[in-house]
Amino acid sequence: MAIDRKQVIEALSQIEIIGNQEGLIPAFGVFITDLPTRFWNSFADRLVRNAGPDLQSAAEGLLVNAAHECGYHTGYGIITSDEWKAVVQPMIERVPEDILYGAYAVVTAWGWAKADIVELVPNKKMVVQAYDYYEADVVSSGISSRYSAYMLRGISAAFMDLAYGGKYDPAGKAGMRTFKCIQTKGLECGDDYGEFVVTRAA
Amino acid sequence: MAVLGRTQFVLDHRYERRNSRHSMNGYDHVFHCHHYLALYTQLAEDAAFMDAKQLLADCAEDVFGEFLARYYREHNVIEPWQRLELAAQYYAAAGMGKLRFVSAGPDSGEVELTHSHVDEGWIKKWGRHDRPVNHFTRGYIAASFASAFGRPMRSIQVHEVESIVTGAERSRFAVVMK
Repeated sequence: MAIDRKQVIEALSQIEIIGNQEGLIPAFGVFITDLPTRFWNSFADRLVRNAGPDLQSAAEGLLVNAAHECGYHTGYGIITSDEWKAVVQPMIERVPEDILYGAYAVVTAWGWAKADIVELVPNKKMVVQAYDYYEADVVSSGISSRYSAYMLRGISAAFMDLAYGGKYDPAGKAGMRTFKCIQTKGLECGDDYGEFVVTRAA
Repeated sequence: MAVLGRTQFVLDHRYERRNSRHSMNGYDHVFHCHHYLALYTQLAEDAAFMDAKQLLADCAEDVFGEFLARYYREHNVIEPWQRLELAAQYYAAAGMGKLRFVSAGPDSGEVELTHSHVDEGWIKKWGRHDRPVNHFTRGYIAASFASAFGRPMRSIQVHEVESIVTGAERSRFAVVMK
């Protein structure tokens, strides 16, 4: 594998991202925020728990969808950014597989999750394991009966869209949702790591 | 460690290699894009089974109320005006926009927003909207007033009375104690 994950994490985790004079962070083709993880977890967890049994899956689907769109557009912004070109691009030998491995180094550097690809079948399947992720913080003690890594599910499917879903579509209509992701293990559910399986959408 | 402004908000940013987390002043933080918050906001707008707009505001109030109160305690910030100025600085540093506390007292206040991640992100994604959507900032302002004046959470009502997303030059919020 060509990607030096440790080097990518070391370089990209040190980038200072802070609001400009307008209080905005325009970067990677999007506006960025840097907010407490607890804010995201609080809204997602309370929304799902308040939805009731009949609507919980639908609410979870909407949260995954939010991350899917975020991952698709911001992911594209990342892999076309100057920072990517400087740090990751020189390591890439196989396209798009090395781009995917590089993307999970960025996911780790940015604090979304300490995650890496453990299986990749080009154009078909990807399995990701995450050994720490903020979405597991919805449980402080004990174990939850529901997986809660909606963001990781969404961005993982989005990354496969970017890799194998065709040309990037800024409108998000053509290339997005060609893949789907399910969570099969979770720290919040008592497993040793989170596991995410991405396959072609039906 | 970055220091911002006249009354200076100290940003203590750290990256923990062990678990790959970023923290700011002792609280885990994470980067996300305008698509994410715009879609969370749309989800709150559309949820029919509960008042998710208020839920979004409540989550912001809870999280930032605790964050700001701890900051003021640890940095011995006493005066309400200093606290509000620091709250505006942190809001800007986090990429949420340019917030100004136009007036503030123990019973009411007025706040304006000349740049807004929520509104400008929404417009960038979908164009203008027919009603205000900045529930996040309603909650943030409630947290700012509560922590500035030593009030409990949920003791303050915040109404967005003008909104960038509807075409106004700036967003305005009216604040009143319950």
